[in-house]
Amino acid sequence: MIDFFNYVQNDWDNIFAYTMEHLQLVSLAIVIAILIGVPLGIYLTTNKYLAETVLQVASIILTIPSIALFGIMIPILSIINQGIGFLPALIALVLYSQLPIIRNTYTAIQNVDPNIRDAAKGIGMTTFQRLTRVEIPNGMPLIMAGIRTATVLNIGIGAIAAFIGSGGLGVLINSGISRGNSNMVLAGAVFVSLLALVADFILKFIQKRVTSPGVK
Amino acid sequence: MIDFKNVTKIYGGEVKAVDDITMSVNEGEFVILLGPSGCGKTTLLRMVNQLETITDGEINVNGQNVKEMDKIKMRRNIGYVIQSNGLFPNMTIEKNTMIVPDLLGWDRKKKRDRFNYLMDLIGLNPDEYRKRYPHELSGGQQQRIGVARAMASDPPVMLMDEPFGALDPIIREKVQDEFLTIQKEVKKTILFVSHDIDEAVKMGDKISLLRQGQIMQYASPTEMLHRPKNDFVSEFIGKDRVLRSMSLYTVNDLVEALGLKSKEEDIQDTKEITIDTSLRVALSMLLNKEADELLITDDQGEAHGSLTFDLIETFINREVRGA
Repeated sequence: MIDFFNYVQNDWDNIFAYTMEHLQLVSLAIVIAILIGVPLGIYLTTNKYLAETVLQVASIILTIPSIALFGIMIPILSIINQGIGFLPALIALVLYSQLPIIRNTYTAIQNVDPNIRDAAKGIGMTTFQRLTRVEIPNGMPLIMAGIRTATVLNIGIGAIAAFIGSGGLGVLINSGISRGNSNMVLAGAVFVSLLALVADFILKFIQKRVTSPGVK
Repeated sequence: MIDFKNVTKIYGGEVKAVDDITMSVNEGEFVILLGPSGCGKTTLLRMVNQLETITDGEINVNGQNVKEMDKIKMRRNIGYVIQSNGLFPNMTIEKNTMIVPDLLGWDRKKKRDRFNYLMDLIGLNPDEYRKRYPHELSGGQQQRIGVARAMASDPPVMLMDEPFGALDPIIREKVQDEFLTIQKEVKKTILFVSHDIDEAVKMGDKISLLRQGQIMQYASPTEMLHRPKNDFVSEFIGKDRVLRSMSLYTVNDLVEALGLKSKEEDIQDTKEITIDTSLRVALSMLLNKEADELLITDDQGEAHGSLTFDLIETFINREVRGA
């Protein structure tokens, strides 16, 4: 145990750099995933057939083991000389985040009380006003829950992306294993967990700020 | 104000929800669309603000065909209240109430004044409720807010779809009374869906009784209760229609109709009843044996004679049976 703390203390600069690298990768992936997933989830509420197909595809993506997904992307992205590194990791994380984000957004909008939707219509709101003033605000808790799930998921998978040279805390785990340095492995794992906890806590705070107190 | 001309609604090419309905609602009139579930009353209502499309025929509001109006604009100019109040959970009471003025782009001061006025009208303290959320209010209060929201931009026409249907009987009665008082002040043209004959008789200037998408009778409550047009109408309003019609009259109507005079003699075993009590209540009091005779008094406490079974019977014979 003392060994571990000594290790963390001595190697703090490295660990911190890896954590930041990890954070960068995951944050960028989540932002892109939200920009794709939320509008897509909203759009799908207007097309039930397409919704089923898209959600199924997103589910299938989530079942692909991450190592396999990285492997598939190496030959594809090699065409543009990006077979390994940041880009394939980013793409994989965006893909993995899609299911929780799309599904939760879709369900959130679908689940808005039909009476409320009817009232909004009858009062003379346009489709866009209904969406921004009624449907999204009332679906906010569920949409945010999807984003939180995706974030935590991504922080975990982000560690595996170190195998294809994306950097991040996975590097510690990786090299720890190959060098037989258990403290290094432990440090990687602990900081991945800490990162996930902190990120979830921050998102929870944001969720509270963006959700109306009238919506439980 | 609202004219239905051969209005028909067909679902899925075969089911006729509304079948060739022609009727008009005059300005300032309170008309009830009454009928059993599935009779097309809600569909008919929702066709007015185009929440349902019109298969055939036309509806004119204020002389203008609704099909030719801009949907969004016309809806903002028609008050709409639904059974489950439809308040937006994410908005405060003030935001909810002022949503239509908001959409219409009123300035802040005008909205605030209007909110204060409406809250006074429905009997809730504006400052106490302004910042609260719908879930913090009771069902009756929510429904009142729903009504206030529909009146926010002072629309001439209001559509109400069983607005008090989800309230418990005591609260419903109270909210109905309040709404009638408000209506006396604002004089809106109202189309009101109900399945409750008592509510219809109490609230409506006219009742349109529907069955399978067709009008069975369109008449004033008195007319309908006393002269039901066909078997369906008499069955729907019930065997106790005479009793029911008693709620349309007050003790005062009887006093005037029969020229009742105050008697000088002292009566034993009596109870006082105010002159604006409905005859139905008076009759129940007599039936309850609360007293053999009821002493009628007016606002000033002046006596107007006493009410007995015999007098009510005479009144019924004269007014109701037209004898």
